[in-house]
Amino acid sequence: MIGEPEAVGTETLGDGDRVVLTFPARGDLVVLARLVASAISARVGFDIEELEDLRLAVGELCLLALQGSDARHGDLQLEFTISGEALDISCTLGGAAPQSGSRDEDRNAADELSEQILYALVDEHGREQEDGSVRAWLRKRRKGPLA
Amino acid sequence: MEQEFRIEDRMDGGRSVITVVGEIDVATAPQLRESLHGVIAQGQATVVLDLLGVTFLDSTALGVLVGGLKRCRELGGELYIVVTDARLRKIFEITGLNKVFPIVDALAEVGAP
Repeated sequence: MIGEPEAVGTETLGDGDRVVLTFPARGDLVVLARLVASAISARVGFDIEELEDLRLAVGELCLLALQGSDARHGDLQLEFTISGEALDISCTLGGAAPQSGSRDEDRNAADELSEQILYALVDEHGREQEDGSVRAWLRKRRKGPLA
Repeated sequence: MEQEFRIEDRMDGGRSVITVVGEIDVATAPQLRESLHGVIAQGQATVVLDLLGVTFLDSTALGVLVGGLKRCRELGGELYIVVTDARLRKIFEITGLNKVFPIVDALAEVGAP
């Protein structure tokens, strides 16, 4: 007898689960971070609006980690940690040298806008620099308990 | 999985219109910057940016728009944004840029030059 097919995409992530994604720190690959953020947010039980907020916020988190760095030789490591009340995401850039030369004016405006976006979309966020690596992080709480 | 990204510029009723389709992010924003600056460099002080086919934009894209707006206004012109998607409008709202850019629902709402 053939059983009922298992529904796709209904698996959930819950308290204590952790997902790590590492990729070369290239702008064209930030889309990967956004895709994974969408998939995880859905499995954690965020609603569609929160999911879209997190997709945007994770892209900004990557940009925050890359801020002021020449990332051509570095890697970005994105870590998603699920707890009972929130989703914590950190983005660490390792192996990148500080950016040389002046930054374009558009990028300076974008950095300010990035801060505003994160401030509006997530509950907490920050950026730390230590021993040649940069770590940007955010926390998004849910209205109700997570899956 | 890879989304199509496309930029076209044209003259429409005496207005310079740039149409973008796809996601504007750190990877694609430089193409938008090049197109926008190119059109302004040709002497078009007022530009209409049609974002009706855009599915995502981030702070890098917004930075390019702000830079473009400054250039247009320095020449006595304006940068109009055509956007209806609620998600995209929300990004303009949370950054306060909805008060900076003239944002309209349709190209027809932008008056003739």
